[in-house]
Amino acid sequence: MASESAPAAFLPPIDAVPEAAWLVWAIPFAAALIMPAIGRASHRITGYAAVGFALMSALSAFSLLPMALAGGEIHDQIMWIEAIGLKAGVLADPLSVIMANVVAWISFLIMIYSTGYMKGDRNVVRFWFWMLFFIGSMQLIVLSDNLLQVFFGWEGVGLASYALISFWYRDKKKDHVGQESRRVLGLMDYYAPTHAGMKAFIMTKVGDVMMIAGMLLIFLYAGTFGFRELVGDTAWAVEMSAQGLLVPAFVLLFGGAIGKSAQFPLNEWLLEAMTGPTAVSALIHAATMVKAGVFLVARLGPIVFALGAAGILADQFFEIVAWVGAITALLLATQGMTNPEIKKVLAYSTGSQIGYMMMALGVAGLSYQYVDGYTAGFFHLISHAMFKASLFMAAGSLLHVVGSRFMTDMGGLRKRMKKTYAFMWAAGLGLMGAPFITTGFWSKDAIFAAVYESGSEWALPLYVIAVLTAVITAFYTTRMIGMVFFGPKSEHIQKMEEEGHHIHEASISMWVPYGILAALTIGIGIIGLSAEEGLHHLFEVYLADSFGIHGAEKGTEMASILPGFLQGLNPVALGSSLAAFAIGIGLGYIFYIGRHVDPARFVNSNIFFYAIHKVILNRWYLNAIIYWCFVVAPLWLARGVSRYFEKTAIDYGMNDGLQKAAGWSARVVQGTQTGVSQSYLFVFGAGLLFVVLILMM
Amino acid sequence: MIPLDSTPMVLVAILGTVGVVLPLISIARRELGGNASNTLYAAIALAALAASMAYVGYEFLYGDMPASALFSEEVLSDDAFGGFFAVAMLIVAIFTVVGSFTYMRKHENASPAVYYSLILLATIGMVLVAYSTDLVMLFVAWELMSIPTYILVGFMKRNPASNEAAIKYFLFGALSSAIIIYGISLSYGLTGSTNIGDVIEGYASLDASMMPLALLSVGMLIAGFGFKMGLVPFHQWLPDTYEGAPAPVTTLLAAATKKAGFAAALRIVIMGAVALNTDWTLALGVIAVMTMTVGNVAAIMQKNLSRMLAYSSIAHAGYILIGLAVAPHSSLGLQGSLYQIFNHAVMKGAAFIAVAGIVVALAVTHIDKLAGLGRRMPITSLGLVISLFALAGVPPLSGFWSKLMLFGGALDASSALWWAPWLAIAGVLNSALSLAYYGWITRKMYFEGETKRRVPEPKPVVAVMIFSILFLVGFGVYPEPLLQFIEFATPVIDWPG
Repeated sequence: MASESAPAAFLPPIDAVPEAAWLVWAIPFAAALIMPAIGRASHRITGYAAVGFALMSALSAFSLLPMALAGGEIHDQIMWIEAIGLKAGVLADPLSVIMANVVAWISFLIMIYSTGYMKGDRNVVRFWFWMLFFIGSMQLIVLSDNLLQVFFGWEGVGLASYALISFWYRDKKKDHVGQESRRVLGLMDYYAPTHAGMKAFIMTKVGDVMMIAGMLLIFLYAGTFGFRELVGDTAWAVEMSAQGLLVPAFVLLFGGAIGKSAQFPLNEWLLEAMTGPTAVSALIHAATMVKAGVFLVARLGPIVFALGAAGILADQFFEIVAWVGAITALLLATQGMTNPEIKKVLAYSTGSQIGYMMMALGVAGLSYQYVDGYTAGFFHLISHAMFKASLFMAAGSLLHVVGSRFMTDMGGLRKRMKKTYAFMWAAGLGLMGAPFITTGFWSKDAIFAAVYESGSEWALPLYVIAVLTAVITAFYTTRMIGMVFFGPKSEHIQKMEEEGHHIHEASISMWVPYGILAALTIGIGIIGLSAEEGLHHLFEVYLADSFGIHGAEKGTEMASILPGFLQGLNPVALGSSLAAFAIGIGLGYIFYIGRHVDPARFVNSNIFFYAIHKVILNRWYLNAIIYWCFVVAPLWLARGVSRYFEKTAIDYGMNDGLQKAAGWSARVVQGTQTGVSQSYLFVFGAGLLFVVLILMM
Repeated sequence: MIPLDSTPMVLVAILGTVGVVLPLISIARRELGGNASNTLYAAIALAALAASMAYVGYEFLYGDMPASALFSEEVLSDDAFGGFFAVAMLIVAIFTVVGSFTYMRKHENASPAVYYSLILLATIGMVLVAYSTDLVMLFVAWELMSIPTYILVGFMKRNPASNEAAIKYFLFGALSSAIIIYGISLSYGLTGSTNIGDVIEGYASLDASMMPLALLSVGMLIAGFGFKMGLVPFHQWLPDTYEGAPAPVTTLLAAATKKAGFAAALRIVIMGAVALNTDWTLALGVIAVMTMTVGNVAAIMQKNLSRMLAYSSIAHAGYILIGLAVAPHSSLGLQGSLYQIFNHAVMKGAAFIAVAGIVVALAVTHIDKLAGLGRRMPITSLGLVISLFALAGVPPLSGFWSKLMLFGGALDASSALWWAPWLAIAGVLNSALSLAYYGWITRKMYFEGETKRRVPEPKPVVAVMIFSILFLVGFGVYPEPLLQFIEFATPVIDWPG
């Protein structure tokens, strides 16, 4: 057991207990294991117990925070597999501690929310088991000090997501996603929970396979999985680079992140993942699962970038990360504009925002100021975690109350559900990037600035995509709020009220968690700039201390035309950020809040809009193409092989043939066994001659 | 002069005394047909066998048992090779006595004293065959082993099947004894000695014109011993005899006297053939493949469990012969043979004792009648299934390792013998084929038939089953001690050329 502390940054070093870093993920795992026993004792207390354990894990994470904010780190290792010198360990540095706190506290709030959301469900023990397992696996990813241990958590997250997405495994009609009547390229766009769970599991597994390949490739050369060890001695990188394997290995690792974070082209599982309970969706989208990919890139990025200082260039890695992020951001944002299901809109939005983070982390590696993009990406991760968890939980309340996943079944709810209405506006403004008062604005602006100032040859196209995505984001968020809360009541709600249902606010255990997060989105947003600068400084020191990454000396500071409190912001980025917000929310207002133009009429007004709408609504045909290539075609092939090869050659030819041959030869042998001693004696004599003859040969 | 305290002499003394005394007790007790005490004689015989076993075990562990020598000036050699076979045969003899305990009480048995006495005398014969280093001694031991078993096979006098089995067995036994003695006399004529070491030395310096005669004598010995080993084409008596004989006696034949054939073959045939410098390995290889194939193929269609096991034991003689065939080029193969001999003694012994138990409890041997046996006689069924899978060589049972060594030995020898890998291939294919009928029995016992009431399982059979399960699974999972024992017992041969 060894613990060490890096030199202090801007606060005096504060000690933390190394065991706390182990406990952060050990507590949820242990809690998951004893959950069935608790459930056996009393069904009712499982929820409180689970929340309590989540709180314990969160407090452990919190105890590390002062140390990390002071720039310290804990690296604690124990021997794992003696024979190959493999060590298990925790690495609590600023990056992982901040991430662990985001995960822990948001999970904690989601767990509180779940006690209300899952009330009355018969399988609640199974739910808590997997939720805790999920959180434990995520924290294992965050706090591990080596890739192999990360991979264990990685697979744990995959397993838990599979189990939770298909949580309602009876496949009732109300638990499906998609519209039963819609067909895309002849395939139904309508999925059952069990199918969705399988889809998520298999698609992320594609990434996992790439990840393990990349991992082992690096291990082959470096002989270690440890993040610190990889930085310490870079001889392995020199050799891999000489073989041309360095970039492929890291791109394979990024493949794991693509799968887990639902980036293009493995993005399609994320939409069907909406079949799980909404609390699960919130957990997947805000704190765990999809963030795991971003975190992995944040872990690996500095290692790759630090190699650049040693003369080993791996720019292609960062280019791929940036472009995958950019494509995903735009691709999924467009689809958020057309989908009628509220959770799916939020899911598209998640994929798109993760794309932003990837873009920032990728661009960071292409610029002189690595820390700019790095901070921007990570800051966006934090702010997104808050507002997206809030939005998902609020959407869950709506589903709970209205009993439908379609926004067309809602409408006019702002009078009935005032709190949800207010919180959704607050969190929604964060997603749109409402200027100056939301975290989303500052983090998005930081990304714009990082892309714009990167000096990369791709800066301009990436920047255009980023701004365009921001416009679309503001539009679809306004659309969502408009469709749910404004306009007349839908037929569905009218029918419910006629039947005597009273549309009311959700219970307190449900609205408090998303209320807190919505408030934080605005609260931290108000001090957003200084928060970002603090994070920037922390990472600057962290990257310099741990990886030896120093920013290039800044040239002469451009005289800013901006007023005092905005000093240090890039005016171009700020301008486009404001413009994007204004255009997006303005268009959204016209169509969905003010309802001056009927969107359906607008789309049908000419063939061009109609075609675009159709392509987007059909998910760019990407999902259908994937199904045709990887599901339908292999099934055809399998059926063909079964009919024309297995049933003929194997069944008739080999099975029956072999059986007949064996029976036939057995009968021949039996024929010689006459039971008559004379014939036996004859054979004996012949055998003797045979043996002597062979010997004489 | 052989010292009186050497292992074979002690075994002869213990088993011989008890074997002779048993009928005397019977006379002293004035027993007539029906009132004989089966339990008493079985207990005495068991005690004698257990004492012998204890003695051999003690010699192995604490005595200074010399490593395998193969040759000696005396007629018997007290070495690890003989000790190894003595252990294997004593285990089977104990199985037989324990299995007979209930079997013979249930069936007609005029004179149990004679029955157990004959088992002990046959055991002396088998043990002495393994210790013999002189051809005349070997022949005497061979006859001492054979003659009691002729009587044992026909022990159920009023059962025609038992009678037919005994007659066939005796006919072929007499023929093979004649052939063996003919072979021995030829070799004596050629070399002027009956000591095996001297005979082989004599063969090595034989005049070329005498060669055909020498080959004829070796061929006759192969045929004579091959009869007991059940090699194709000297096997035809075997299924008829095994099926007709009382099940415990079949155990003795299949698991023990068969091994005596291998012990004799190892001492004489291989050595002799080496001295004659002929390509005899091919002959053994061809016989090995024929034997295992015919045994397995014929077993597939059998409807009677004893008969199926009889064919399976023919097949196993083929596997064992692989190691003998490649012996000059691979010590691994020879070790595999000894290992397989030892395993087969336990596996086949347990399987036949299970049959005896089934006959006692349900009086059936037809395979279709075994449906649902897994629930009616759970321990017997489990023992039978584990023995069968061990026979097939399924890991992690003990039978797996011996087959692995045999086939590995065959591959090992491939640099010297181009056809040796084909022995391994034939062995593997045959093992796969054998799973067909082993699996069939398993399916019958566990997956067919409606649930019937449990029947009481004979306790001695249960004891044998539990021992075998522990042996086969235990040494399958942790084969190290058995491997060391085998390695110690395997003769290290300085092959000429």
